Amino acid sequence: MAKKVANIVKLQIPAGKATPAPPVGPALGQAGINIMGFTKDFNARTADQAGMIIPVVITVYEDRSFDFVTKTPPAAVLLKKAAGVEHGSGEPNTKKVAKVTKDQVRQIAETKMQDLNAADVEAAMRMVEGTARSMGFTVED
Amino acid sequence: MKWIKLSVSTTSESVEAVSEILTELGAKGVEIQDAADFKHIDPEAIGPYGEVEDVASIPHLQQGAVVAAYFADDQSIKTITQQLNQRIQALPKFGLSIGAGTIKTTSIKDEDWAEAWKKYYHPTQITRFLTVVPDWETYHPTTPDEYTVILDPGMSFGTGTHPTTTLALLALEKVLRSGQTVFDIGTGSGILSIAASKMGAGLVKAYDLDQVAVAAAKANVALNSDVNNISVMPSNLFQSVTGRADLILANILAEIIDLMIPDIDTFLRSKGRIIFSGIIKDKLPAIEQRLAAYHLAIETKLQEKEWVALIVGREDEL
Repeated sequence: MAKKVANIVKLQIPAGKATPAPPVGPALGQAGINIMGFTKDFNARTADQAGMIIPVVITVYEDRSFDFVTKTPPAAVLLKKAAGVEHGSGEPNTKKVAKVTKDQVRQIAETKMQDLNAADVEAAMRMVEGTARSMGFTVED
Repeated sequence: MKWIKLSVSTTSESVEAVSEILTELGAKGVEIQDAADFKHIDPEAIGPYGEVEDVASIPHLQQGAVVAAYFADDQSIKTITQQLNQRIQALPKFGLSIGAGTIKTTSIKDEDWAEAWKKYYHPTQITRFLTVVPDWETYHPTTPDEYTVILDPGMSFGTGTHPTTTLALLALEKVLRSGQTVFDIGTGSGILSIAASKMGAGLVKAYDLDQVAVAAAKANVALNSDVNNISVMPSNLFQSVTGRADLILANILAEIIDLMIPDIDTFLRSKGRIIFSGIIKDKLPAIEQRLAAYHLAIETKLQEKEWVALIVGREDEL
């Protein structure tokens, strides 16, 4: 049975640890969703990735019931993993904290391609590379 | 507690970078609106039952993207906003276009979102006999054997409509006998304890690790003026529990149920039963194995959607 979609909400929140605190509460409360219903489902489904920030797209139906799908981890998370660092640089202009190769950028772009609003892999690579540089990573050939 | 929402207007290509900057500045998550998401709606992204008749009927941005995050409204907010602005203005140097690149600041109180969904919450008949009534509504039972649980779902915990709670309540109706002692581990809103008491339990002890849950459960017990045999106490699973019960309730998650199983024998009276709910289908085989290892057996299995509830007893007593 198809249900009419009333709203679509996109969040990035820690897997297994969602709470009604912002951004979940305000975003879902406004959409009329039972907040704890969502956090319980989300935490159960993402318990295996606990602590990792993951994107989630929540579809709200006309009757205020909802569904959600989790997406590939954010580019920044994949970049930090590839570079083996926990944090990006607070001063990316002057302080470089890690480096990644073009190949790694391409790999991440390909992984994320389905979830990025990019026309092609090259565009996705530009996004990933820009994100890397904005975190104080150098990108090498 | 007051919150400040910082909303950054930017472009689709900078969404990832801006999200990361907000996260590094301490946000516990971000909310993303991206006009590009609505150019071609991915059918897989809207779930198996979704149907989009008209994209225009769904609220969304017409162009660009907004990434928003929430921060506590204290002295640090000024520094955070300054740092955020600096980092965003620097993005073009790294090859990302920032679009408007503006930051909008909105002040938000905790209650705003707690109230927002209340208007969608009404008395709900959960089982044949049980109706959950939000404390701001008036409700009169429609049949003589219907009973009501009055709840203030507030900002937290189950409202009875979630499959895990429904299944636990159905199991409770099946196994609870008049006068029995019940332990409710991870009580949350207290809904199962209140229902158990109304169904005739002699004594109910409700426990939760979370102080917020303990307070919420106490408040909900107080809303049900005909209930006077429930005590609500803080406890990390069985840590502060003493004595034994005829019935142990645990509507938690499979991962937590797994931790409880070794202690069941200590806290369960002879011929007692346990109701485990909150088990997502995929985790059932692991729970079944764990139960068997501790000589516990499943008497009844209930399922709704992807959730499973189990009525369990000692294998030599079933």
